[in-house]
Amino acid sequence: MASLAALLWFLNMLVDTGGQLSFKAAASHGVPATGPSSWKEHWKNMVVRPWLWIGIGCYIGEFFVWMAFLSQVELSSGIMLGCFNIVVIMLAGRLLFDEKLTPWRVAGILLITGGVAVIGFGGAA
Amino acid sequence: MKRRNFYLAGFLALLSFDTLAQICFKYAGTYALPLDFELSWFVRLFSRPWVYGAIFGYLGAFVTWMSLLKYAPVGPSFAASHLELVSVTLFSVWLFNEPLNAYKLLGGSLIVLGVLCLAKSEGKESGEDKDPGEGKDSRAV
Repeated sequence: MASLAALLWFLNMLVDTGGQLSFKAAASHGVPATGPSSWKEHWKNMVVRPWLWIGIGCYIGEFFVWMAFLSQVELSSGIMLGCFNIVVIMLAGRLLFDEKLTPWRVAGILLITGGVAVIGFGGAA
Repeated sequence: MKRRNFYLAGFLALLSFDTLAQICFKYAGTYALPLDFELSWFVRLFSRPWVYGAIFGYLGAFVTWMSLLKYAPVGPSFAASHLELVSVTLFSVWLFNEPLNAYKLLGGSLIVLGVLCLAKSEGKESGEDKDPGEGKDSRAV
């Protein structure tokens, strides 16, 4: 991978992880244990907290970063390299939301990391 | 059972929106070249229709995604949404004449296997955890 493509890949990982974690926070903060009472209430609850808006900001940034990244690599390679975000988001979900790392999830993380490494070594350009 | 159908319909909608968006992203980025980090890049980007297709797919995927995230944990749902890898790769061979070399086949297969492992983990979880929203789940998206 050329260094510009690698930089854009890394930037995309940052904004994507930030965005996904913000959306998770937006969707789960302030929701009673019995679940949100209605669709309207759920959204009302989300728009008054900052998480939804931080997530949207990250998504807008990602929109341009991802387009720039895809103009530097093949679409099929790009989409595969982008899958590394899954691994980063799972580890962050474990850290911030106490989501469990079951053996199946660890296997998934290892396989995806291996796959991304193979694409990277294959000279994605 | 109803919950399963709700997830399936949601993920299919997500897959279609994501695939459309990725194809438009690639066209938009390619037609906007060279990448010069200046205003002219944005002007080239927005003067072609592709970026608007990408926005449409992005928004559709966003609304579908937010509706799903209410009940599903972030990691596994994110993984399930990444099965777009297969559809996008097939389209990229057809539309952009990208070769399917050994690296891509091996790497792509490993990633899909990894994604399936995460989906398996998810299936076990939802069997154990009792969903608080169960019983009043006649919601439609």
